[in-house]
This record gives sequence, C-alpha cells and structure tokens, in this order.
Amino acid sequence: MAENQKQNYLTHPKGIMSWLLTLDHKRIGLMYLLGGIIFFFLGGLLALGMRLELAAPGNDFMSNETYNNVYTLHGAIMIFLFIIPAIPGALGNMLLPLMLGAKDVAFPRLNLASFYIYTLGALFVVYTIISGGVDTGWTFYTPYSTTSTSNVIPMTMGIFIIGFSSILTGLNFIATIHKMRIPGLTWYKLPLFVWALYGTSLVQITATPVIAITMVLLILERLLGIGIFDPALGGDPVLYQHFFWFYSHPAVYIMILPAFGIISEIIPVHSRKKIWGYKFIAFSTLSIAFIGFLVWGHHMFTSGQSVFSQIVFSFITYFVGIPTGVKIFSWILTMYKGQVSFTPPMLYALSFLFLFTIGGLTGIFLGAVALDIHLHDTYFVVAHFHYVMQGGTIIAFLGGLHHWWPKTMGTMYNQTVASICCLGVFLGFNGTFFPQFLLGLRGMPRRYATYDPQYAELHNYSSFWSGILGLSIFIAIMNLLWSLRKSNKLDPGTNPWGAMTLEWTHTSSPPHPHNFEKDPVLEHGPYDYDKVVVEPTFKK
Amino acid sequence: MSEHHITPLKTYLVIAGALFCLTAVTVWVSYFDFGSFNIIIAMGVATFKATLVALFFMHLLWDDKKNLTMFIMSLMFLGIFITVTLLDTGFRGGVNPEVEYPINKRAAFYDSLPLTDTHGNPVDEHGIDSHEGDEDHH
Repeated sequence: MAENQKQNYLTHPKGIMSWLLTLDHKRIGLMYLLGGIIFFFLGGLLALGMRLELAAPGNDFMSNETYNNVYTLHGAIMIFLFIIPAIPGALGNMLLPLMLGAKDVAFPRLNLASFYIYTLGALFVVYTIISGGVDTGWTFYTPYSTTSTSNVIPMTMGIFIIGFSSILTGLNFIATIHKMRIPGLTWYKLPLFVWALYGTSLVQITATPVIAITMVLLILERLLGIGIFDPALGGDPVLYQHFFWFYSHPAVYIMILPAFGIISEIIPVHSRKKIWGYKFIAFSTLSIAFIGFLVWGHHMFTSGQSVFSQIVFSFITYFVGIPTGVKIFSWILTMYKGQVSFTPPMLYALSFLFLFTIGGLTGIFLGAVALDIHLHDTYFVVAHFHYVMQGGTIIAFLGGLHHWWPKTMGTMYNQTVASICCLGVFLGFNGTFFPQFLLGLRGMPRRYATYDPQYAELHNYSSFWSGILGLSIFIAIMNLLWSLRKSNKLDPGTNPWGAMTLEWTHTSSPPHPHNFEKDPVLEHGPYDYDKVVVEPTFKK
Repeated sequence: MSEHHITPLKTYLVIAGALFCLTAVTVWVSYFDFGSFNIIIAMGVATFKATLVALFFMHLLWDDKKNLTMFIMSLMFLGIFITVTLLDTGFRGGVNPEVEYPINKRAAFYDSLPLTDTHGNPVDEHGIDSHEGDEDHH
C-alpha cells in the first residue's frame, strides 16, 4: 500500500510509449498543455514581431506581404491552436474526472483520438507556415480568400481537422458529466468549472460543424469553382461571413466560458468564502452559451447585410451583457467580507476581473451599429478583443495553471516570482493594449504594416509594453517549469489553498494513475466554507 | 435508461405505407402551382416524413428523451442559422431600395414621358443619344 501511495500518473507507467498511447485523461491533458504552450509561444513571437514592425511608422523590419502573413498566422495559431483547445483540452481533461470523482472521462480512447486529431490539424498549420504562409487574415473572408495565391487550402484544412478534435472533446465531456458523477454529486453540487465545461461542450458540439462546412465550401469554391460566395457564379460573399461567424461568435464563448469557470473556482477558494449566487452563475453559463448563437451578425455591421438584420443583431447583442454582468457581480460579492489572500492565482483572477470588464464594456461601444461603423476595422476592435481574449481567457488560463499546478505536478513554484510576473503581465498588457483603444478612436486601421506618423507615439508605447508583457509571461512559465526540479517535491497530501473540491480533498498531488485510491465519498459541497473548515496544508 | 424497445413489424409497415402515401402526395401537389407556397408545401411534407422516420425507424419516440432533445436542438440551431441569415438576404432592400422596389421600366407611366437617356437628356425617336440599355424606356 505504501508503494501504491508513491505511484502517481507522472511516473507510472514509465516509457515514451506509455505517454504516446496513454488513455489517462491527466496525461492527455498534459500533452494538450504542452501543445498549447508551444503554439502560445509561437503565436506570441509572431505578435512581438508585429509590434517590432509597428514601433515606427515605415516598413522598417518586414515587407507588407510578410506582415500580412504574420498577423494571419498570429490570429489563426492563437485562436485555433491555443485558446480554443487549451483550457478544455489541458485543464478540462486534467480536472474534469477528478472533480466528478471519476476514474477517467467517459470515452478515454476517443479522448486520445481527439488529441491526435488536434496534432494532425496542427501539422497542417505548421506545413502552411513552412511553405510560405497565408495572408488572408484569420477570418479567411471571401472574395480575397478564394483568389489569394497564398496557402489558404492547407490552413483551412488544418482548421477543418482541428474542429473535429474540438467536437469529440465536447462530446466526451458531456457524456462524462452526465454519466460519471459519484453518487450524491448532483448538478447543483458540481464545481462551477464543470458547469463551464458543460456549457462550452454544448457550444463545441453545436457550432463547430458549421466552421467545418464553411472551410469545405471555401475549398470547393477555390478548387472547383463552385459558386457559393462569388457573385459572378451566383454566390454571395456576405454569406461567407454568416457561415464563418455562426461558428466564430459562439467560439468566442468556447474561449471565454472555461475561463469564467476557472475564475469561479479561484475566487471562492482564495477568499475562503462560499460562492455568491451559485445557481445564477451556473445558469448564466448556459444562457451565455445560448445567446451566443444569436448575435453573430454584430461582426458584420459594415458588410452590407440588411439594416433590419443590423438592428436585430445589435439588440440581441446587449442581452449577452446580462448573464456576464451576473457573473462579475457574483464574483465581487463572493470576495466581499471574505478572507482574500493575494496568492498568484488570486492576483490573476483579480486582473481578470479588471481587464475582462474593460473588454466587456468596450463591447457595448462596438455592439451599437452607428458607433461600430466608425470603429470597425480599427485598433479599437483589436484592443477590445485582446482585452476579452488575452485579458480574459489567457489571464484566467495562467491563473488556473498557477492554481492547479501543485495538484497536477506536485510541486510549488516560487510564489514571489509568480506574483511579480502577474504584475508584469497586468502592466504590460494594459500598456500594450490601452493605447490601441486611443489609436482606434483616432482612426488607425488594423492590419497595416505602416501608418501615418501622427500615430507613432502611441504605437511606440504599445510596442514597448508588449516586450514587458512577453517577458513576464515567459518568466511566469519558466518559473513553473523551474519548480519541477526534484528537490522541490511536495507532500502528496498537500492542499496549499485549502480548496474543497474532490480533486484537492480526495486525491494525492500529483494524483494516483487511477485518480482515487478508494471510491471517493462526497462529504460537502464544493464551496461550503460556511459549514466546513479545510485548512491549507503545504509541506515539502 | 429505458430498456430496449421492440417495435412490432406492423408499426413499421404502417409507417412505411404512410411514407409511400406522402411521397405520392409530394408528386401530386407538384402538378399544382401554389406560387411561393410551392416550396413551403413540399418542405412541409418532407419534414413530416423525416419526423416519422426519426420517431419510429430511429426509435426516438421510445428512446431516452435526452436523445430526442439533442436531435430537436440540432434542428433548432439549424433553424436559427437559416432564418436569421434570411433576415439579411430577404431585407437587403433596406440598404438598397432599388433592390427591394425595383423600377418597372416597362410600366405604362413611362410611355407618357419624353424619351431620355440614362442621364435624363431628351433623345429623339431614333435615338441620337441612345445606346444599349435605352430600350428600357419604351
């Protein structure tokens, strides 16, 4: 038994094949994490390249063509290879069965298959990069994408393939949440991260097939000249945008809902207080997932779609604010009169609240048709979605990584360094993207390598801070990796934040290969800080 | 979870009969012209047939209701996509009134007016100024 307790999923079984062919959700989660981080790094380098080019007005560093490739690849890699798969694929895979008290996901082989499908899609993207890139922008808008001579087909094939990975993960999670909960773990006792994954999975299953269809139609038009989007052949270019955004707007919620889930875990644990408005948060997740399907046209206010559609889409867009506001206020009320400790995960969660709220509020500007026509395709939009996607999702992802790192890896990183990095990310992020709101308001269009010298000061400022941002994220990740050295192992019973969910209270850190040594019994709800005392334990 | 349902052969035959009858109905109504309702009637009959297949041949009627919910939801999302996209294409005239209310250049009203070219300049009967497209004025 003592020998059994020493076993954990990282060291048992051994050998490279035991990793490549593993059916263990925790190992698959780690492989997703590795893949995600590699592409995050690549996408980040491309972003820094762009900022370097934009530091001064002229073509100082790259040609216009190269710049077109760089921003397209930055967007496509960050969205399709990092943000969409990272949280469900890495943290979701790692934590979902542990949170449910299950031995694994419902379909472990399907889980491994979905990882390899992701890898296959990623190879197509890598091929695109090596063979000269693609210059259409990550949205692949027609008519340019059907006429561009760059590698549109391998890139869109890659996205087509990765979509299936997303669908299969969603399917697996839904089956797991329905079928694999331990007795007594009813829907309202689930950790809110599970609710978030459930909402995300629903969107993945229902929306992702549409991007697959869109990519196929685009390829058919390019290869066979079938008129779907080309008016000369009887098609409609705006139809492409309908297809694309019918997936890609819900995809925004595939990206942000798991981040909401992470924040819903971090805030009560690090405030040592029961979450405020559990059911409100749970159902706001589902309503965001649903409303997210009805607002795609707000990306198309200048596309020439009918005024009637614009009014309808603009009106419905404002409904998204209601469930999102419910979440933000619930988190703030959870912290109110709690014992807030400023640990690295909590600092990330607080940054999230601040940055995501700015992202959300500037969305109100863009949701209004009249204002959007002025701001469309300017840096205001760039700043808005980076506040939501990076200030929201990536900050939450980093927070989640720091929160569950001791659980998944069994080591504790240097918390001072992690906190300083979090501050660096926060300052670097605001320094990079806040000036872009001003640039956008002053008329700086997005997707240009050069610009009028009047914008130089703000661009220069943005570029400088992007370096701080990149460096902070790099050191934060290095800090995590540095913690993996052998002398740093934690006691397997460690629960450094005093969390109450099953993955902290019933498994060792890192977990046993079969998750639980004996069947877990549910003793309390996930956030019952008002009823039970779970002391933080932290020893080497 | 509901146990496996065994459907009597008779039910299958009745449903198959209904499907054949409905196919005949589709063919029969195609001989009448209902104008813009042609497509609605044809799709209505087809939808009804598909519903029969899903409920009886695919056992959704007796299956776990979650499966039925999923099936209906997928149709609902398809419905949302198609209807809302049609809200765009059907109402583009809001942006381009000439698309929504095209000028009928063969209307009797135009016969009472002097002939003009596309810029409104008068032209004579044989059209000194006239060029292609002007025949619309007659």
